[in-house]
Amino acid sequence: MKNRIKVERAEHDMTQADLANEIGVSRQSINAIEKGKFVPSAVLALKIARLFKKPVEDIFSLEDQD
Amino acid sequence: MKTSYLLPHKYKTLGWALFVLGLIIGGVVVFGGYDFDILKVNVISIYDEGGFLGGDRGFFNIIKNSILDELAALTIILGGLLVGFTKEKVEDEFIYKLRNDSLVWAIIFNYVVLAIAIIFVYDYSFFHILVFNMFTPLLFFVFRFNFLKFKSSSDEE
Repeated sequence: MKNRIKVERAEHDMTQADLANEIGVSRQSINAIEKGKFVPSAVLALKIARLFKKPVEDIFSLEDQD
Repeated sequence: MKTSYLLPHKYKTLGWALFVLGLIIGGVVVFGGYDFDILKVNVISIYDEGGFLGGDRGFFNIIKNSILDELAALTIILGGLLVGFTKEKVEDEFIYKLRNDSLVWAIIFNYVVLAIAIIFVYDYSFFHILVFNMFTPLLFFVFRFNFLKFKSSSDEE
């Protein structure tokens, strides 16, 4: 699964730490999600989408191997 | 992230202190040849085969024993459990996954190392392996978990 969190963060001028604080997770999590090392749960994906005020599909999308 | 078995974060520092202290005392005990006269007290031995400490064979004997090694072992175990199973500052699903992955890794790694030791280490040296092996699962787990945590926080963009 790929995501556009890094882009969204840049658009909202947020650091990884800012985003982590906003949704109540560790900065390691955001880092790992951005790098594609960790696929977040549906709950976490929805929280991130809600923060950026976008549908989840605009931020997260499936890849061929999924 | 709700987990039922994790203790509050405040015990983590105590855990590290005990863990390090236990490892230091443990090192002293191992390199001192397990033979100490300090802290010699009467203890209850549930079962004694006789054997190389020269005790009497039997159940529920009161024997004299230096409890330095027992204290070291218990301190390492208590410290290690506290370090491994207290909450992080921010506890979330990724940290949870790191902890679980580290546990699996530690068990597999521990037994691979033990298997190699079984094949290549004999006699009294193997006794040392058995002693170390009481603590290596915890040790590998704590090391792996903290290594992964450090690695995933060290490289921002």
